[in-house]
Amino acid sequence: MEGPLPKSKVILHWLTAAAVLFLFVSSWWMLALPLPSENFTYRELPFQLHKNIGITVLIVVIVMIAVRIKSKMNKPQMAKTRLEKLAALDHVLTYFLITACCLSGYLSSSFSGWETTWWWLVNLPTWSAENDELNILFSDIHMWTCWALLAVIALHIGAALYHTFRNDEAIIKMFRL
Amino acid sequence: MTEPQGTVIDSKWLGIIAVLFGILLLANHGNELLKQSVLTPGSVAELVLAADCRVDELEEEGLSQQECELMVSNVQIALASSPQWFRPAMLWLSALGILFAIFSIVTGIAFVGGRKMNLTMAKFCFAALVAVDLCTFIAAVNTGPLLRVNYLWPTLLWFFIHLTFFAMVMSYSTSIERANN
Repeated sequence: MEGPLPKSKVILHWLTAAAVLFLFVSSWWMLALPLPSENFTYRELPFQLHKNIGITVLIVVIVMIAVRIKSKMNKPQMAKTRLEKLAALDHVLTYFLITACCLSGYLSSSFSGWETTWWWLVNLPTWSAENDELNILFSDIHMWTCWALLAVIALHIGAALYHTFRNDEAIIKMFRL
Repeated sequence: MTEPQGTVIDSKWLGIIAVLFGILLLANHGNELLKQSVLTPGSVAELVLAADCRVDELEEEGLSQQECELMVSNVQIALASSPQWFRPAMLWLSALGILFAIFSIVTGIAFVGGRKMNLTMAKFCFAALVAVDLCTFIAAVNTGPLLRVNYLWPTLLWFFIHLTFFAMVMSYSTSIERANN
C-alpha cells in the first residue's frame, strides 16, 4: 500500500471538489436569470463569481497536474491491474476535462465582449473584439466538456464508494490529514 | 449471508459518506446564499419592466423570445412569493448550512482518521443539520405555492439524509459505549 499523501494534496483535492460542485450548481440557476442589459444586472455577481472560482480551479489543477507528473517521474513504474489502469484513465480524464472546461469558459467569456476579471483584481486579456461565432463555439465546448466532466465525476465517486464498501483502504489516504 | 450480532457501524464508511454529502451540501447552501444575495426585494424585476431580449443574446444562449421574457417573470415569481422575512431567514439558514456542512466534512475526515473527539462533535453536527433542514422546510411551507415548489422536495430529501446520518452516529455511539462497558 502507498504511504500517506501530503496534507496539501488532500486539502487541494477537497477544495477543488467543493469548488467544481459549486460551479455546476451555480451554472444551472444563474442561466435562468434575466439576460443582461442596462436594467437587468442579476447575472453580474453570479457570473463574476463563476469566473473567479473557475479560473482559480484551473490554476489549482495545473499545479496538481505538475505535482503528479513530478511524483510519477520519481517513482519506479510497476505493472498495473485492469482496475488500476481504469482508475488512472479516470484521473487523466478528470484533469483533462476540468482544464478544458475552465479554458473554454474563459475563452467563451473572452470573445463575448465582456471583460474577464479575476477576483475583481486582475484583468485577463481578451483575445479579440467581440466575436459571436467564437463565443458560441467555446460556449458549446464549455457545455459539453462540463457534461462529460459530470459523468466522469460520477464514475470517480462511484469508484470511491466501491473501494469504501470493500474496505480495501484504497481511498483512505484521501481522508488522512 | 448473516451479519454477526451487535456489529458496529464502520466509522470509516460513515466518515467517507459524510464527507461526500458534506461537499454536496456545501455547494447547495453556497448557491442558496448567492441566490438570495442576487434576488433582492425592490430590484428592477419588481418594477415589471419589459425583458431586454437582444437577438444576438437569444441566439448565443439558444433561447426563444418567450423564454427570455419568462426569465424576468421567474425573478418576479421569486420576489412576489417571498414574505418579507423569507430572504433574511434563508440568508441565515444557508450561512448556518455552510458552516455545518464544513463541520460535517471535518467530522467525516476525523471519523476516517479514527480520532476520539469526534463522536460528540458528530452528534452535534448532524443534529444541527437536521435542525437547519427543518427550519428551511418550515420557512418554505410558509411562502407562496410558486416558491414552495422549488424548496420543499429538495429540503425534505436533505432532511432525511441528515436524519439518517444522525441515527447512524447515535447508533455507532451506543455500540461503542456498550463495547466499552
